[in-house]
Amino acid sequence: MKFILLFFSIITAFPIVGESTKNWLTPPQGMVYVPAGSFIMGSTYGDPDERPQHIASTKAFFIEKYEVSNAEYALFDTSYAFENGKENFSVVVTWEQAAAYAKWAGKRLPTEKEWEKAARGTDGRVFPWGNTYNNKFVVWDRTHPRGSALAKPESPYGCYDMAGSVWEWTDDWYKPYPGNNIPMEQYGEKYKVMRGGSNFNNHSFIRTTQRYYVPPNSTANYPVGFRCVKDAE
Amino acid sequence: MYNRYFSLIAGILLFCSSEFLFSQTVNKFPAKTDPLHKKVAMFTELMLGNHWNEGTFLQRVIFPPAGSTKPLIAWYSDCLDVTVEMLVAYCFKYAITKNNDDLQRANQIFEGILKLEKVTGVPGLMARGFYKTDKPLWFEQVLWYPLEWHASTSMPGYRWLGDLSADKFTSLFYGIGIYYELCADEKNKKRAADLLDRFAGRCIDYNFKLVDLDGKMTLWGNYCPDLPHQSLNSLEMLMGLKVSHRITGKERFHAAYNMLIDRYHYDDQQLESKVMWPTEWRNSYDDDHAAKSLYMLMRYEDDRSLMIKYRMNLNIHWYDWQNHDFSFQGDPWFIMLYQVLTGENVMTEDRIEGIKSMWGFEREMRTFKIPVNDGYKLVESVVEGHASTMIRNYWFGRYYGFIDPEW
Repeated sequence: MKFILLFFSIITAFPIVGESTKNWLTPPQGMVYVPAGSFIMGSTYGDPDERPQHIASTKAFFIEKYEVSNAEYALFDTSYAFENGKENFSVVVTWEQAAAYAKWAGKRLPTEKEWEKAARGTDGRVFPWGNTYNNKFVVWDRTHPRGSALAKPESPYGCYDMAGSVWEWTDDWYKPYPGNNIPMEQYGEKYKVMRGGSNFNNHSFIRTTQRYYVPPNSTANYPVGFRCVKDAE
Repeated sequence: MYNRYFSLIAGILLFCSSEFLFSQTVNKFPAKTDPLHKKVAMFTELMLGNHWNEGTFLQRVIFPPAGSTKPLIAWYSDCLDVTVEMLVAYCFKYAITKNNDDLQRANQIFEGILKLEKVTGVPGLMARGFYKTDKPLWFEQVLWYPLEWHASTSMPGYRWLGDLSADKFTSLFYGIGIYYELCADEKNKKRAADLLDRFAGRCIDYNFKLVDLDGKMTLWGNYCPDLPHQSLNSLEMLMGLKVSHRITGKERFHAAYNMLIDRYHYDDQQLESKVMWPTEWRNSYDDDHAAKSLYMLMRYEDDRSLMIKYRMNLNIHWYDWQNHDFSFQGDPWFIMLYQVLTGENVMTEDRIEGIKSMWGFEREMRTFKIPVNDGYKLVESVVEGHASTMIRNYWFGRYYGFIDPEW
């Protein structure tokens, strides 16, 4: 399996570097394009729910470059109140609120596959920018606006803040990956998966493969926001 | 007849006053102008009267009318830190006084810490805090992550808070280590060693992670050499293993300590444990855990090359600490601790005045959103902070001769 993953990571790394963007679809305003294809999903060293590391694939899709902001969310929910000066901060809402916004915007929430592929590309990296952590690569907790990491690193497809800032909702229920036989009572259709971590927690939680579970009608006091995707047709 | 009516009315008044008006057990605060020893004694009474929870101490207590008339409504997330500081305070106090009451209090707190493990039902898994109740109380939904509260199966009728973090890890080794050094009799030394054996052993079994009841790593429990983690955590893990080896005598912990240094360079990683720049990222709470770790490591380590590196870490912290204005409750401790570990005399007149001016907490009014069936209701209530750091500072300072008993 290790050799298959190694071979796969080598051959899939080249299209990202070499592929001409002229063949890619032009993304809508504020979104980036993620081409169809396979990528390495999960990890061998994280929590049991990240296993097994496996090859997954997605169709082509567009994903928002940034998490949805307070100001953007307030256009949808006019009763949503936030502190003055925090227009460009990531919004914190429940899954139900996030899904309703996405529908209103003509988009949807990303699946776990889509989210992870957009965050790490196809080479199996630990973070959106590579494999090394540095405080300067992430938005400092929730006290700073979107995209304000000192180094402003992008994911392989051009997304910001997929590590740190706020957690991000995905569309999926919290379930084991195929082939994972490690029991967890939380698996099923009770919790939605959030990804990307918050800097408030340890560095490992902002890895691209980290999964966490929260009920859809609550944030359970976690700082969790979202970004939307759209099918590329 | 008259006396009976008088007694009845007095009884009703007493009931009302104790349950509704002054349900805090202790309400006497010192004056700012009081001598230090009097302030410490009075804040200790406040802690024992209002924060005591079966051997542990609650960190910030919310008083009626927000919830129960008992001091159960509180933040529990840092309960272990506060409890350990009170344990350490009584250990240093007992080392000075040799008073049996102080020893008994330290032993009671040690029992409370053991209960933090017992309540989880999993050997080596510690709770952040616990409380006894027939049903979950409202604060579980509001004051921390509600998914982290559990009904105890090993102690029916209790609920406990999971998701143990790195600072609690540090507190445990620091507190139990000092208890072992200064207070515990032979029987309790064995129990203390067994506790650390279970706790540190479980952490190693999970590849240097704190793993929660759900099998996932806790939000802050990452010391794993295969995962990116804070440099401060490397320091904390080295300290935990050093203390575990010292107290249990088990080679396993010594081997793990050496492995993390030789193969994974934790001794070099720990040098970066203080974030210095940008300056707004400097964090006194992290310093507190670094200070606890360095205090234990630098007294137990005898390898010169490692001692040089730990001293380098202390020097980096000192670059910042020497300019603190004593606004953070741990500041006086940082100064005293630096002098204890280095032998340099850094106690200036300003710093002495700062120590004499130490203070515990003020009560404050806060509004809480209490969940009810159809939403929330807003309730205003009194919140009482904790004085464990000030009390620890005082007895640490007394023990090492920084603080005159007459102050």
